[in-house]
Amino acid sequence: MDFPHLHLLLNHFPIIGTIMGVGLFLISFFVKTDEVRRSSLIVFVVMALLTIPAFMTGVGAQEKMVADSSVSNAMIQRHEGAAELAVWFMEITGALAVVALWQSAGRANPGRLNTLAILAFSLVTVGLMARTGNTGGEIRHLEVRSVQEGTAAETAIAYFEPSPAKFTRLMIANKWWWAFMMDLHFIGLVLLIGTIGMLNLRVLGFAKQLPIAPLNNLVPWGIAGFGINVLTGLLAFIGMPTFYSHDIAFVLKIGAIMLAVTVLGLFYLTSAFRDCEKLGPGQDAPLRAKLIAGTSLALWFAVIVLGRYIQPLQDSIAR
Amino acid sequence: MAVPLFLSTLEQSGLSTWLRETESLFGFYFILVFHTIGLALVVGPNAAIDLRLLGVAQGIPLPPLRNWFRLMWLGFTINVASGIFLVLAYPTKAFTNPDFYIKLTLVAFAVWTLYRMKRQVFDDSSLGEVAMLARGKILAVWSLVLWLGVITAGRLLAYTCSYLVYGVPC
Repeated sequence: MDFPHLHLLLNHFPIIGTIMGVGLFLISFFVKTDEVRRSSLIVFVVMALLTIPAFMTGVGAQEKMVADSSVSNAMIQRHEGAAELAVWFMEITGALAVVALWQSAGRANPGRLNTLAILAFSLVTVGLMARTGNTGGEIRHLEVRSVQEGTAAETAIAYFEPSPAKFTRLMIANKWWWAFMMDLHFIGLVLLIGTIGMLNLRVLGFAKQLPIAPLNNLVPWGIAGFGINVLTGLLAFIGMPTFYSHDIAFVLKIGAIMLAVTVLGLFYLTSAFRDCEKLGPGQDAPLRAKLIAGTSLALWFAVIVLGRYIQPLQDSIAR
Repeated sequence: MAVPLFLSTLEQSGLSTWLRETESLFGFYFILVFHTIGLALVVGPNAAIDLRLLGVAQGIPLPPLRNWFRLMWLGFTINVASGIFLVLAYPTKAFTNPDFYIKLTLVAFAVWTLYRMKRQVFDDSSLGEVAMLARGKILAVWSLVLWLGVITAGRLLAYTCSYLVYGVPC
Protein backbone atom coordinates (compact mmCIF):
# COMPACT_ATOMS: atom_id res chain seq x y z
CA MET A 1 0.00 0.00 0.00
CA ASP A 2 1.68 3.20 -1.13
CA PHE A 3 0.52 6.73 -1.83
CA PRO A 4 -0.63 6.18 -5.44
CA HIS A 5 -2.82 3.28 -4.25
CA LEU A 6 -4.18 5.22 -1.29
CA HIS A 7 -4.83 8.23 -3.51
CA LEU A 8 -6.81 6.15 -6.01
CA LEU A 9 -8.67 4.46 -3.16
CA LEU A 10 -9.71 7.76 -1.60
CA ASN A 11 -10.02 10.25 -4.44
CA HIS A 12 -13.33 9.03 -5.83
CA PHE A 13 -15.16 9.61 -2.55
CA PRO A 14 -15.26 13.42 -2.61
CA ILE A 15 -16.57 13.45 -6.18
CA ILE A 16 -19.23 10.75 -5.98
CA GLY A 17 -19.98 11.43 -2.31
CA THR A 18 -20.76 15.10 -2.78
CA ILE A 19 -22.99 14.28 -5.76
CA MET A 20 -24.90 11.81 -3.57
CA GLY A 21 -24.98 14.32 -0.74
CA VAL A 22 -26.42 17.02 -2.98
CA GLY A 23 -28.96 14.52 -4.34
CA LEU A 24 -30.18 13.64 -0.84
CA PHE A 25 -30.13 17.28 0.17
CA LEU A 26 -32.33 18.25 -2.79
CA ILE A 27 -34.72 15.35 -2.13
CA SER A 28 -35.06 16.53 1.48
CA PHE A 29 -36.75 19.72 0.24
CA PHE A 30 -39.57 17.64 -1.23
CA VAL A 31 -39.98 14.74 1.16
CA LYS A 32 -40.26 16.46 4.47
CA THR A 33 -38.52 13.92 6.67
CA ASP A 34 -35.66 14.92 8.91
CA GLU A 35 -33.89 11.64 8.24
CA VAL A 36 -33.19 12.45 4.60
CA ARG A 37 -31.91 15.92 5.45
CA ARG A 38 -29.74 14.57 8.25
CA SER A 39 -28.40 11.80 6.02
CA SER A 40 -27.33 14.31 3.41
CA LEU A 41 -25.59 16.43 6.06
CA ILE A 42 -23.78 13.38 7.43
CA VAL A 43 -22.64 12.52 3.90
CA PHE A 44 -21.20 16.05 3.53
CA VAL A 45 -19.33 15.78 6.83
CA VAL A 46 -17.88 12.36 5.95
CA MET A 47 -16.81 13.62 2.52
CA ALA A 48 -15.19 16.72 4.04
CA LEU A 49 -13.17 14.38 6.27
CA LEU A 50 -12.21 11.90 3.53
CA THR A 51 -11.14 14.81 1.34
CA ILE A 52 -8.29 15.53 3.76
CA PRO A 53 -6.40 12.23 3.20
CA ALA A 54 -7.49 12.17 -0.46
CA PHE A 55 -5.81 15.56 -0.91
CA MET A 56 -2.73 14.69 1.12
CA THR A 57 -2.00 11.34 -0.55
CA GLY A 58 -1.88 13.21 -3.87
CA VAL A 59 1.53 14.63 -3.02
CA GLY A 60 3.02 11.17 -2.48
CA ALA A 61 1.38 9.92 -5.67
CA GLN A 62 2.84 12.85 -7.60
CA GLU A 63 6.35 12.06 -6.38
CA LYS A 64 6.02 8.47 -7.57
CA MET A 65 4.59 9.51 -10.93
CA VAL A 66 7.03 12.20 -11.99
CA ALA A 67 9.70 9.49 -12.10
CA ASP A 68 7.87 8.26 -15.21
CA SER A 69 8.88 10.45 -18.15
CA SER A 70 5.61 9.84 -20.00
CA VAL A 71 3.78 11.74 -17.24
CA SER A 72 3.46 15.48 -17.64
CA ASN A 73 4.30 17.37 -14.48
CA ALA A 74 2.38 20.36 -15.82
CA MET A 75 -0.79 18.26 -15.86
CA ILE A 76 -0.18 17.13 -12.30
CA GLN A 77 0.28 20.77 -11.26
CA ARG A 78 -3.00 21.66 -12.94
CA HIS A 79 -4.72 18.83 -11.05
CA GLU A 80 -3.14 19.97 -7.79
CA GLY A 81 -4.32 23.54 -8.36
CA ALA A 82 -7.85 22.32 -9.03
CA ALA A 83 -7.70 20.25 -5.82
CA GLU A 84 -6.40 23.18 -3.78
CA LEU A 85 -9.46 25.15 -4.82
CA ALA A 86 -12.00 22.31 -4.35
CA VAL A 87 -10.71 21.38 -0.88
CA TRP A 88 -11.76 24.69 0.70
CA PHE A 89 -15.30 24.54 -0.68
CA MET A 90 -15.58 20.94 0.52
CA GLU A 91 -14.38 21.81 4.04
CA ILE A 92 -16.71 24.82 4.25
CA THR A 93 -19.64 22.62 3.15
CA GLY A 94 -18.66 20.08 5.84
CA ALA A 95 -18.43 22.78 8.51
CA LEU A 96 -21.84 24.22 7.59
CA ALA A 97 -23.29 20.69 7.66
CA VAL A 98 -21.92 20.17 11.19
CA VAL A 99 -23.63 23.38 12.31
CA ALA A 100 -26.93 22.23 10.76
CA LEU A 101 -26.63 18.77 12.33
CA TRP A 102 -25.98 20.27 15.75
CA GLN A 103 -29.00 22.57 15.38
CA SER A 104 -31.28 19.74 14.30
CA ALA A 105 -30.12 17.55 17.22
CA GLY A 106 -30.94 20.35 19.64
CA ARG A 107 -34.36 20.60 18.00
CA ALA A 108 -33.61 24.21 17.20
CA ASN A 109 -34.87 25.46 13.89
CA PRO A 110 -32.03 25.05 11.41
CA GLY A 111 -31.37 28.50 9.99
CA ARG A 112 -32.64 29.21 6.50
CA LEU A 113 -29.44 31.10 5.74
CA ASN A 114 -27.38 28.04 6.66
CA THR A 115 -29.56 25.80 4.47
CA LEU A 116 -29.04 28.13 1.52
CA ALA A 117 -25.32 28.32 2.20
CA ILE A 118 -25.05 24.51 2.28
CA LEU A 119 -26.92 24.30 -1.00
CA ALA A 120 -24.66 26.87 -2.65
CA PHE A 121 -21.37 25.53 -1.31
CA SER A 122 -22.21 21.89 -1.97
CA LEU A 123 -23.19 22.64 -5.57
CA VAL A 124 -19.96 24.58 -6.16
CA THR A 125 -18.05 21.73 -4.49
CA VAL A 126 -19.60 19.17 -6.86
CA GLY A 127 -18.41 21.24 -9.82
CA LEU A 128 -14.93 21.85 -8.45
CA MET A 129 -14.50 18.22 -7.37
CA ALA A 130 -15.58 16.99 -10.82
CA ARG A 131 -13.03 19.36 -12.31
CA THR A 132 -10.38 18.03 -9.93
CA GLY A 133 -11.23 14.46 -10.94
CA ASN A 134 -11.16 15.38 -14.59
CA THR A 135 -7.74 17.04 -14.46
CA GLY A 136 -6.51 14.11 -12.38
CA GLY A 137 -7.80 11.54 -14.85
CA GLU A 138 -6.18 13.34 -17.74
CA ILE A 139 -2.74 12.76 -16.21
CA ARG A 140 -2.93 9.09 -17.15
CA HIS A 141 -5.88 8.69 -19.50
CA LEU A 142 -4.95 10.06 -22.92
CA GLU A 143 -8.38 9.14 -24.24
CA VAL A 144 -10.18 11.65 -22.02
CA ARG A 145 -7.88 14.62 -22.54
CA SER A 146 -10.38 17.22 -23.39
CA VAL A 147 -10.82 19.89 -25.97
CA GLN A 148 -12.85 21.97 -23.53
CA GLU A 149 -9.78 23.95 -22.40
CA GLY A 150 -10.87 27.29 -23.75
CA THR A 151 -14.43 27.63 -22.42
CA ALA A 152 -15.25 30.86 -20.63
CA ALA A 153 -16.23 29.04 -17.44
CA GLU A 154 -12.93 27.18 -17.37
CA THR A 155 -10.99 30.42 -17.81
CA ALA A 156 -12.99 32.06 -15.01
CA ILE A 157 -12.39 29.18 -12.56
CA ALA A 158 -8.72 28.97 -13.48
CA TYR A 159 -8.44 32.63 -12.47
CA PHE A 160 -9.34 31.77 -8.86
CA GLU A 161 -7.31 28.61 -8.80
CA PRO A 162 -4.14 28.82 -6.72
CA SER A 163 -0.82 27.95 -8.27
CA PRO A 164 0.45 25.10 -6.04
CA ALA A 165 4.05 26.32 -6.01
CA LYS A 166 3.03 29.89 -5.16
CA PHE A 167 0.64 28.72 -2.44
CA THR A 168 3.43 26.67 -0.89
CA ARG A 169 5.84 29.60 -1.00
CA LEU A 170 3.24 31.90 0.52
CA MET A 171 2.86 29.63 3.55
CA ILE A 172 6.58 29.36 4.31
CA ALA A 173 7.76 32.80 3.18
CA ASN A 174 7.37 34.31 6.63
CA LYS A 175 8.43 32.47 9.76
CA TRP A 176 6.05 34.55 11.93
CA TRP A 177 3.08 33.56 9.77
CA TRP A 178 4.06 29.92 10.30
CA ALA A 179 4.47 30.50 14.05
CA PHE A 180 1.01 32.13 14.13
CA MET A 181 -0.58 29.12 12.40
CA MET A 182 1.07 26.74 14.86
CA ASP A 183 -0.08 28.94 17.76
CA LEU A 184 -3.67 28.65 16.49
CA HIS A 185 -3.15 24.88 16.09
CA PHE A 186 -2.35 24.60 19.83
CA ILE A 187 -5.30 26.82 20.79
CA GLY A 188 -7.54 24.51 18.76
CA LEU A 189 -6.07 21.53 20.61
CA VAL A 190 -6.86 23.11 23.98
CA LEU A 191 -10.46 23.85 22.99
CA LEU A 192 -10.92 20.28 21.73
CA ILE A 193 -9.51 18.56 24.83
CA GLY A 194 -11.12 21.03 27.25
CA THR A 195 -14.62 20.28 25.98
CA ILE A 196 -14.83 16.92 24.18
CA GLY A 197 -12.10 15.48 26.43
CA MET A 198 -13.91 16.57 29.59
CA LEU A 199 -17.23 15.20 28.30
CA ASN A 200 -15.51 11.86 27.64
CA LEU A 201 -14.06 11.86 31.15
CA ARG A 202 -17.48 12.53 32.67
CA VAL A 203 -19.02 9.66 30.71
CA LEU A 204 -16.22 7.46 32.07
CA GLY A 205 -17.18 8.49 35.59
CA PHE A 206 -14.85 11.40 36.47
CA ALA A 207 -16.54 14.33 38.29
CA LYS A 208 -19.83 12.44 38.25
CA GLN A 209 -21.74 15.22 40.01
CA LEU A 210 -21.99 16.98 36.62
CA PRO A 211 -25.13 16.23 34.59
CA ILE A 212 -24.20 15.35 31.01
CA ALA A 213 -26.74 17.26 28.90
CA PRO A 214 -25.48 20.77 29.85
CA LEU A 215 -21.84 19.65 29.64
CA ASN A 216 -22.61 18.73 26.05
CA ASN A 217 -23.33 22.41 25.35
CA LEU A 218 -19.58 23.08 25.54
CA VAL A 219 -18.89 20.69 22.66
CA PRO A 220 -19.49 23.25 19.85
CA TRP A 221 -16.39 25.06 21.15
CA GLY A 222 -14.42 21.84 20.81
CA ILE A 223 -15.72 21.33 17.29
CA ALA A 224 -14.73 24.92 16.52
CA GLY A 225 -11.26 24.09 17.84
CA PHE A 226 -11.18 21.09 15.53
CA GLY A 227 -12.19 23.37 12.65
CA ILE A 228 -9.33 25.76 13.47
CA ASN A 229 -6.98 22.78 13.39
CA VAL A 230 -8.25 21.41 10.09
CA LEU A 231 -7.69 24.86 8.58
CA THR A 232 -4.23 25.47 10.06
CA GLY A 233 -3.24 21.84 9.49
CA LEU A 234 -4.18 21.95 5.81
CA LEU A 235 -2.34 25.25 5.35
CA ALA A 236 0.75 23.81 7.05
CA PHE A 237 0.55 20.75 4.79
CA ILE A 238 0.37 22.96 1.71
CA GLY A 239 3.40 24.85 3.06
CA MET A 240 5.60 21.74 3.35
CA PRO A 241 3.85 18.90 1.47
CA THR A 242 6.85 16.62 0.93
CA PHE A 243 8.03 17.12 4.51
CA TYR A 244 4.75 15.66 5.79
CA SER A 245 4.27 12.99 3.14
CA HIS A 246 7.56 11.33 4.17
CA ASP A 247 6.65 11.19 7.82
CA ILE A 248 5.14 8.08 9.37
CA ALA A 249 4.03 10.01 12.49
CA PHE A 250 2.07 12.39 10.27
CA VAL A 251 0.41 9.60 8.27
CA LEU A 252 -0.60 7.81 11.46
CA LYS A 253 -1.80 11.08 12.97
CA ILE A 254 -4.17 11.69 10.07
CA GLY A 255 -5.41 8.08 10.47
CA ALA A 256 -5.96 8.62 14.20
CA ILE A 257 -7.89 11.85 13.52
CA MET A 258 -10.18 10.03 11.06
CA LEU A 259 -10.84 7.34 13.70
CA ALA A 260 -11.33 9.87 16.51
CA VAL A 261 -13.92 11.80 14.52
CA THR A 262 -15.64 8.52 13.55
CA VAL A 263 -15.88 7.60 17.23
CA LEU A 264 -17.32 11.04 18.01
CA GLY A 265 -19.86 10.42 15.25
CA LEU A 266 -20.71 7.03 16.75
CA PHE A 267 -21.31 8.68 20.11
CA TYR A 268 -23.83 11.13 18.70
CA LEU A 269 -25.50 8.94 16.09
CA THR A 270 -26.03 5.78 18.15
CA SER A 271 -28.16 5.45 21.26
CA ALA A 272 -25.01 6.12 23.35
CA PHE A 273 -25.67 9.85 23.42
CA ARG A 274 -29.38 9.52 24.15
CA ASP A 275 -28.52 7.21 27.05
CA CYS A 276 -26.04 9.75 28.38
CA GLU A 277 -28.17 12.83 27.82
CA LYS A 278 -30.59 11.69 30.51
CA LEU A 279 -27.89 11.25 33.14
CA GLY A 280 -28.16 13.59 36.09
CA PRO A 281 -25.68 14.20 38.93
CA GLY A 282 -24.03 11.05 40.24
CA GLN A 283 -25.51 8.70 37.63
CA ASP A 284 -23.33 6.18 35.86
CA ALA A 285 -23.18 5.96 32.06
CA PRO A 286 -23.93 2.62 30.36
CA LEU A 287 -20.98 0.45 29.35
CA ARG A 288 -21.36 1.12 25.63
CA ALA A 289 -21.07 4.87 26.12
CA LYS A 290 -18.06 4.34 28.37
CA LEU A 291 -16.33 2.24 25.72
CA ILE A 292 -16.91 4.98 23.15
CA ALA A 293 -15.70 7.71 25.51
CA GLY A 294 -12.59 5.74 26.46
CA THR A 295 -11.74 5.04 22.82
CA SER A 296 -12.25 8.70 21.98
CA LEU A 297 -9.88 9.83 24.75
CA ALA A 298 -7.24 7.28 23.73
CA LEU A 299 -7.44 8.40 20.09
CA TRP A 300 -7.13 12.14 20.81
CA PHE A 301 -4.22 11.29 23.10
CA ALA A 302 -2.62 9.41 20.19
CA VAL A 303 -3.23 12.40 17.90
CA ILE A 304 -1.27 14.67 20.28
CA VAL A 305 1.57 12.17 20.74
CA LEU A 306 1.88 11.50 16.98
CA GLY A 307 1.74 15.22 16.24
CA ARG A 308 4.66 15.80 18.55
CA TYR A 309 6.68 13.07 16.85
CA ILE A 310 6.28 14.56 13.34
CA GLN A 311 9.48 16.55 13.67
CA PRO A 312 11.89 13.79 14.82
CA LEU A 313 10.32 11.26 12.42
CA GLN A 314 10.79 13.36 9.29
CA ASP A 315 12.08 11.25 6.39
CA SER A 316 10.86 8.07 8.13
CA ILE A 317 9.13 7.14 4.84
CA ALA A 318 11.76 6.60 2.15
CA ARG A 319 12.01 9.19 -0.60
CA MET B 1 26.16 40.43 28.61
CA ALA B 2 28.39 37.41 28.97
CA VAL B 3 26.61 34.09 29.06
CA PRO B 4 27.17 32.51 32.53
CA LEU B 5 29.55 29.58 32.53
CA PHE B 6 27.32 27.32 34.64
CA LEU B 7 25.01 26.96 31.64
CA SER B 8 27.85 25.33 29.77
CA THR B 9 28.56 23.03 32.73
CA LEU B 10 24.89 22.06 32.90
CA GLU B 11 24.78 21.51 29.17
CA GLN B 12 27.76 19.15 29.24
CA SER B 13 26.25 16.94 31.94
CA GLY B 14 25.42 13.42 30.81
CA LEU B 15 21.64 13.80 31.08
CA SER B 16 21.55 17.11 29.19
CA THR B 17 23.73 15.76 26.38
CA TRP B 18 21.67 12.59 26.14
CA LEU B 19 18.33 14.45 26.04
CA ARG B 20 19.63 16.71 23.29
CA GLU B 21 21.55 14.29 21.12
CA THR B 22 20.01 10.85 21.51
CA GLU B 23 18.54 9.16 18.46
CA SER B 24 16.09 7.43 20.79
CA LEU B 25 12.46 8.50 20.57
CA PHE B 26 12.44 8.69 24.38
CA GLY B 27 14.69 11.75 24.53
CA PHE B 28 13.75 15.38 23.95
CA TYR B 29 10.54 14.73 22.01
CA PHE B 30 9.27 12.29 24.63
CA ILE B 31 9.52 15.08 27.21
CA LEU B 32 7.81 17.41 24.75
CA VAL B 33 4.89 14.95 24.49
CA PHE B 34 4.42 15.14 28.26
CA HIS B 35 4.63 18.94 28.12
CA THR B 36 1.83 19.02 25.52
CA ILE B 37 -0.37 16.53 27.40
CA GLY B 38 0.16 18.63 30.53
CA LEU B 39 -0.84 21.74 28.59
CA ALA B 40 -4.04 20.05 27.46
CA LEU B 41 -4.84 18.99 31.05
CA VAL B 42 -4.30 22.44 32.58
CA VAL B 43 -5.54 24.82 29.94
CA GLY B 44 -8.27 22.61 28.42
CA PRO B 45 -10.47 22.30 31.53
CA ASN B 46 -9.56 25.81 32.69
CA ALA B 47 -10.68 27.31 29.38
CA ALA B 48 -13.93 25.33 29.62
CA ILE B 49 -14.55 26.65 33.18
CA ASP B 50 -13.72 30.19 32.00
CA LEU B 51 -16.26 29.89 29.20
CA ARG B 52 -18.89 28.62 31.66
CA LEU B 53 -18.21 31.57 34.00
CA LEU B 54 -18.56 33.92 31.05
CA GLY B 55 -21.99 32.61 30.14
CA VAL B 56 -21.47 29.60 27.85
CA ALA B 57 -23.40 26.39 28.65
CA GLN B 58 -25.24 27.95 31.56
CA GLY B 59 -26.95 24.68 32.45
CA ILE B 60 -23.72 23.32 33.90
CA PRO B 61 -23.94 23.53 37.71
CA LEU B 62 -20.86 25.34 39.04
CA PRO B 63 -20.01 23.52 42.32
CA PRO B 64 -19.14 20.10 40.80
CA LEU B 65 -16.62 21.79 38.46
CA ARG B 66 -14.47 21.97 41.58
CA ASN B 67 -13.42 18.35 40.84
CA TRP B 68 -11.71 19.46 37.63
CA PHE B 69 -9.11 21.44 39.59
CA ARG B 70 -7.41 18.22 40.72
CA LEU B 71 -6.90 17.31 37.07
CA MET B 72 -5.54 20.78 36.32
CA TRP B 73 -3.03 20.57 39.19
CA LEU B 74 -1.95 17.17 37.85
CA GLY B 75 -1.40 18.77 34.43
CA PHE B 76 0.54 21.62 36.00
CA THR B 77 2.74 19.17 37.93
CA ILE B 78 3.46 17.25 34.72
CA ASN B 79 4.46 20.51 33.07
CA VAL B 80 6.74 21.72 35.85
CA ALA B 81 8.54 18.36 35.73
CA SER B 82 8.69 18.10 31.94
CA GLY B 83 9.57 21.80 31.71
CA ILE B 84 12.62 21.28 33.95
CA PHE B 85 13.85 18.51 31.65
CA LEU B 86 13.26 20.64 28.54
CA VAL B 87 15.35 23.46 30.06
CA LEU B 88 17.97 20.91 31.09
CA ALA B 89 18.28 19.79 27.46
CA TYR B 90 18.93 23.34 26.18
CA PRO B 91 19.81 25.52 29.20
CA THR B 92 21.75 28.19 27.28
CA LYS B 93 19.04 28.43 24.63
CA ALA B 94 16.37 28.92 27.30
CA PHE B 95 18.13 31.34 29.62
CA THR B 96 19.43 33.60 26.83
CA ASN B 97 15.98 34.00 25.28
CA PRO B 98 13.88 36.94 26.61
CA ASP B 99 10.75 35.09 25.46
CA PHE B 100 11.55 32.35 27.99
CA TYR B 101 11.25 34.83 30.88
CA ILE B 102 8.06 36.27 29.39
CA LYS B 103 6.57 32.77 29.24
CA LEU B 104 7.53 31.94 32.84
CA THR B 105 6.05 35.24 34.07
CA LEU B 106 2.81 34.60 32.20
CA VAL B 107 2.68 31.02 33.59
CA ALA B 108 3.09 32.39 37.10
CA PHE B 109 0.22 34.84 36.66
CA ALA B 110 -2.00 32.25 34.93
CA VAL B 111 -1.46 29.68 37.69
CA TRP B 112 -2.00 32.34 40.34
CA THR B 113 -5.32 33.16 38.64
CA LEU B 114 -6.20 29.46 38.63
CA TYR B 115 -5.42 29.26 42.36
CA ARG B 116 -7.51 32.35 43.11
CA MET B 117 -10.39 31.00 41.05
CA LYS B 118 -10.36 27.81 43.11
CA ARG B 119 -10.11 29.62 46.45
CA GLN B 120 -12.47 32.53 45.86
CA VAL B 121 -15.10 30.99 43.61
CA PHE B 122 -15.19 27.22 44.15
CA ASP B 123 -13.93 26.61 47.72
CA ASP B 124 -16.57 28.77 49.41
CA SER B 125 -19.55 26.41 49.58
CA SER B 126 -21.78 29.13 51.06
CA LEU B 127 -21.83 30.96 47.71
CA GLY B 128 -24.80 30.67 45.38
CA GLU B 129 -24.46 30.68 41.61
CA VAL B 130 -24.95 34.45 41.29
CA ALA B 131 -22.21 35.21 43.83
CA MET B 132 -19.88 32.66 42.21
CA LEU B 133 -20.38 34.27 38.80
CA ALA B 134 -19.88 37.75 40.25
CA ARG B 135 -16.54 36.69 41.71
CA GLY B 136 -15.48 34.54 38.79
CA LYS B 137 -16.10 36.63 35.70
CA ILE B 138 -13.07 38.93 35.89
CA LEU B 139 -10.84 35.99 36.84
CA ALA B 140 -12.16 34.05 33.85
CA VAL B 141 -11.24 36.85 31.46
CA TRP B 142 -7.74 37.10 32.96
CA SER B 143 -7.38 33.34 32.82
CA LEU B 144 -8.20 33.18 29.10
CA VAL B 145 -5.93 36.13 28.25
CA LEU B 146 -3.03 34.77 30.29
CA TRP B 147 -3.23 31.21 28.92
CA LEU B 148 -3.43 32.62 25.40
CA GLY B 149 -0.24 34.52 26.23
CA VAL B 150 1.42 31.42 27.71
CA ILE B 151 0.68 29.29 24.64
CA THR B 152 1.83 32.02 22.27
CA ALA B 153 5.03 32.69 24.21
CA GLY B 154 5.65 28.94 24.46
CA ARG B 155 5.14 28.42 20.73
CA LEU B 156 7.47 31.34 19.99
CA LEU B 157 10.24 29.55 21.91
CA ALA B 158 10.44 27.21 18.91
CA TYR B 159 11.11 30.12 16.55
CA THR B 160 13.38 32.40 18.57
CA CYS B 161 16.81 32.03 20.12
CA SER B 162 20.11 33.83 20.68
CA TYR B 163 22.22 30.73 21.30
CA LEU B 164 21.42 27.17 20.33
CA VAL B 165 23.98 25.80 22.79
CA TYR B 166 26.78 27.49 24.75
CA GLY B 167 29.00 29.50 22.41
CA VAL B 168 26.94 28.67 19.31
CA PRO B 169 24.80 31.65 18.22
CA CYS B 170 21.60 30.85 16.32
